[in-house]
Formats: sequence, C-alpha cells, structure tokens
Amino acid sequence: MKKSLFPLIMAAIILLFCGCSSKQPYTPITERMGKQPEVAQQPSEEAGAKEGINEEELARAERERQRLAAQAAANAAAHLPDIYFDFDSYVIRNQEMPALQDIADWLSKNQSVKVVIEGNCDERGTTEYNLALGQKRAEAAKDFLVRSGVAANRIRTNSYGKEVPVDAGHTEEAWAKNRRDHFASQQ
Amino acid sequence: MSKFSAFVLSFAVTVLVALFAASADAKVYLDVYGQSYKKITIAVPPFATEGQPRPVVSDLLGRDLDMSGFFVVAPRSLMDNGLANEGIDKRSIKFDQWRSLGVELLCKALIQEKDNGFSLEAYLYDASDGTLLFAKRYRATPTEWRRIVHRLADEIILTVTGEKGIMGSRILFVSGERRYRDVYVADLDGYGPRKLTNQHQIIVSPSVSPDGKYLAFTSYKEGRPNLYVVDLATGREAYTDRQEGTKVGSSWMNAKTIAYAHVLGRVSTIYAANVETKERKVLLRKEGILASPTFSPDGSKMVFVSDMHGGPNIFMMDLATGDTKRLSFFGNYNTSPAFSPKGDLIAFVSKTEGALEICVMKPDGSDARVLSDGGVNDSPVFSPCGRYILYSSQKGRKYSINMMLHNGENKRELTFTGAEETQPKFMP
Repeated sequence: MKKSLFPLIMAAIILLFCGCSSKQPYTPITERMGKQPEVAQQPSEEAGAKEGINEEELARAERERQRLAAQAAANAAAHLPDIYFDFDSYVIRNQEMPALQDIADWLSKNQSVKVVIEGNCDERGTTEYNLALGQKRAEAAKDFLVRSGVAANRIRTNSYGKEVPVDAGHTEEAWAKNRRDHFASQQ
Repeated sequence: MSKFSAFVLSFAVTVLVALFAASADAKVYLDVYGQSYKKITIAVPPFATEGQPRPVVSDLLGRDLDMSGFFVVAPRSLMDNGLANEGIDKRSIKFDQWRSLGVELLCKALIQEKDNGFSLEAYLYDASDGTLLFAKRYRATPTEWRRIVHRLADEIILTVTGEKGIMGSRILFVSGERRYRDVYVADLDGYGPRKLTNQHQIIVSPSVSPDGKYLAFTSYKEGRPNLYVVDLATGREAYTDRQEGTKVGSSWMNAKTIAYAHVLGRVSTIYAANVETKERKVLLRKEGILASPTFSPDGSKMVFVSDMHGGPNIFMMDLATGDTKRLSFFGNYNTSPAFSPKGDLIAFVSKTEGALEICVMKPDGSDARVLSDGGVNDSPVFSPCGRYILYSSQKGRKYSINMMLHNGENKRELTFTGAEETQPKFMP
C-alpha cells in the first residue's frame, strides 16, 4: 500500500515544486551559508550621506550594480530549478530529463553564466557515504549538461552530502526534497 | 559467593606476588568477551578526607565504574552512617555488613590535599573474605584530580576484567550547529571540552594519527570538501588535498600515512598519502563510489565501501595481492566499517527497515549482529581495548555520541558541549 502510493506522492511533490519555482527563486548558496548581502550595503549608505555627493553617487552606483547582480541571480535561479533523485541513487530520473534539458538550453543561451552543481542527500544515510553520493549526483547532472553541449569548464561540482538539508523534517516529503542537485549560478 | 571467593583468592595471590604490578595473565572475574555476563556489585563509600570533605571524588569513581558496564555501584542510600564513615584499614571494616548489602568489592580511599598537591591512597577489598586486592597511591596537582580518579577506575577494571579500563580516555568529535562546526577533544566523562580547530565550518570525518601528532578532517572552509591534515602542536597545515571533488573518510595506516577517498567524475579513488613527504599513491580506483577506507590491525587488508554491486556494501581488499571480496550480503545498504583492534570484528552501519543500525560481523562477513536499537546511527569505532564501540546516534532531532559494549549492552549517551555532537573517535 505504502509502496504503491509513494510514486504518486513523489510526483505530487515534484509538480508542486516545479509550479512554485518561477515565483520563488532559489536562494543562492551564499545566502544559505548565512551571509546577507544587505549587511554589506548598510555601511556604504551611511558613508555616502556623510561624505557628500561623490560618495553618494558611488554608493548609488554600487547599489545599482548589486541590484542588477541580484536580478541576474534571481533570473538565473528561475531557470535553474533543483532536480531530484530516488533514494540512494545518482541516476537522473526520466521525469527530471526535461527540466535538465531546459537548464542545458538556458545555459547555452547564457554563455556568461557558470554553474556549481551541488549534490545533496536525505538524512537516511551515513555521513561519509552521503558525501560521496552527493558528489555523484552532481556529476550525473554535469554529465548530462556536457553531453547536451554545455562546455565542461563552465560547470563545477560540489557535494554537501546530508549536511545542509533544505527541509529539516523527518518525513518522506522532506527526504524527497533533500535528495537534490542545486544549481548555483556565477555570472 | 564461594566460587567467587575462590577466584578472588587465586587472584589475590597473583596480586601479592606481583606486588601491585599489573599481571598480563591474571585470572579475570568477568569474561567480557562472552555474549553476556553478570555485573559485580562494588561499593564506593565517601572517601575519607583531611581538611574539607570531597564526596565529589568518590562520586566520580562511582560514575566511572557504572559507565564501564562491568559493575553495579551500590547506592549510597544503602549505607548507614557507621558504614559510610568507617575507617579505611582492614581491621576497622565491617565486611559482614558489606556482604549483607550484597557488596562483592569495596573500594576505600584517603584523600590528602597539601603543599599544592592532591594524593589518593586507594584500597580495593574483596568483601567476601576481606582480602586486599590492591593498594595504590596516586599524586597530582589539585586541578588534575579527575585524572587520578579515572586511573583508579581503570585499575579496578583491570583487576576485575584482566584488562585496563578506558575511563581515562579522551574523545575526539565534531560539534556545533550544522554549518558552524569544529573538532573538539574532551574527557570520556564529558569534562573539559576543548576546540582543536577554529573553522566554524561544515566539518566531517576527523581522525588523529596513531602517535597523536596530526589531526585530519574534511572541511568546507574553502567552499568545497577538502582534506586537511594539521600538526596539532603547531596548528600548521601538514598536508592538504584541494583537488576538485569530494575528499572524505580519513583513516591512518601508520603515524605518517593517511588514506582517504576522493570522488570526482565517473571514478572514485582511495589514496594513501604520506603527510610528511606529501607523496600520494593510489590504493584503489574504480568507477562509481568508493568511501570510508579502514585497515586491519596488521595492515594487510583494506576494508572499504563501494557500490560496485548495487547499493553500498562493504568490501575487503588484500593490499599485497589486490584481491577484493564483498563482505556484506545482507540488506542493500552497508557502510562505515571499522576494524576492532584485535581484528576479530568489523563494526559497520546497516540500513534496516526504518533505521540505520550499528552492527558487527566477523572479518569474513559472517555472524552479523545488530547492536543498536533504532534511529539513525553512524560512525562506529572501537575503543583501543576492543571492548567498547563509540558511535553517533540520532534519536528525535539531535545527534549525540553514544558508547556501548561490543556486545551491544550498556548503552550510554555521552554529552560534552550541549550542541549536536557527531563522529567520535578515541584519542590515541
């Protein structure tokens, strides 16, 4: 009973996720690592106010540059959805092929973008093996993108194993979300 | 009780002949390698003190003996004032009263604190006939008194089991919030946790070289899982692997050579690197995943994890011939192998229905047994004496470090920093 429901639930989760992805772009890794870009912005604003028009302009230019960068990152994130894996597997699932092909197409149109593919695992595995498994998940996606014509030197791979789950829950749903490749763009 | 007395008598003779020296072939009270055994009841009445009373000292000894798994420590509430406060020499001890409480061994000690020193004069008696099993005197600085108590506990464990205890051990582990971790060392009883790294990063798989000189670990401080080996005395980086890909699962082959797995592209590689000459050689390279290399105590075999037959399983390679065979033929998820120091067992993690369990098997893969009881368990490692297994265990939300006897009995949670704690190892 449980087994027959599982693919349905998974499909539902994936649909849910794909539906949301355009509205809610994925946060870049720098943010997930706990650094907030606004923090850096604050002091330059204050400095501009004190030191006159020149500084103000510089600050405005800087803010504009940051805004554009954030916009580009958000744009990239919208085109680089996470892709998901079966338990203890690093084989790209059939249902993920179209999403991965879209990523390959978008990367081909946006030659300035480089990506780091970050492989992740759910908590139901051992730490060391999951780090290896996460690396293989990233490699599997890289392999697909390279075979679809994206230059290998634009793609780097990294693994976080089960160390930084996107969902800290202990449910089938949480685990499914955590078995993923995340694509972090670098302009 | 009479059988026990005979044991004690023969042992007492050995002790007297050896004059307090530890005898390697001493008769043991407990065969701890059996499937199970009966615990010995020991009483540790409050230690007599000169100057201020220090019940904290005898309390710590009681906790050590309890944690060892070989003793039932008689509760203080059983002892009336007369018993609790009687003298330490043989004539003033009412052995018949101790016997009536079911006490089999009695530890008495006198604390002396003077001239900026702390000394402990300890006696271990067999309560059945009043035989003195040993008398020991320990000295330390006042701040080091805990070490002395651990040494006394280990001496009592030696007397009873024929092998020294591990209560004086220090434990290496990873602690902190998920993304902000460091490697720590602390006493086995949780006292005095101290940071060995200052990374504030995701850190995994710490290990210390057998001579205690080097600390190896995988850290994300440069953005991806690189392997670092630092000299613990100087803090200097002795060896670093910054290749693209995941480098993880360090295990020392000898004082200078570390083995670890590297996963990149289609292949995985297990390297052996000399951290002083920086010479790195390939022990094994295969398509798919290789992880968690570990070595037999004689250094002839490497045990590792590979997915070459489907899900992760445990394999053994003869380092001289390269012959490789699969050891785990149960379930479809077996990882994290660790050899026992005597080479008679391999601990590992196996995925069962709904749990990751700590298991042991013989080195040929036979006789696999589950030792833990549910939850997500990881990173088993044997104590240097082979009688205990340390591991991390997640029950509910938080990971903590646990210890049990190698037969799965006497499970204890160890707490050090209060934060999440994982991947324990015994410090050499």
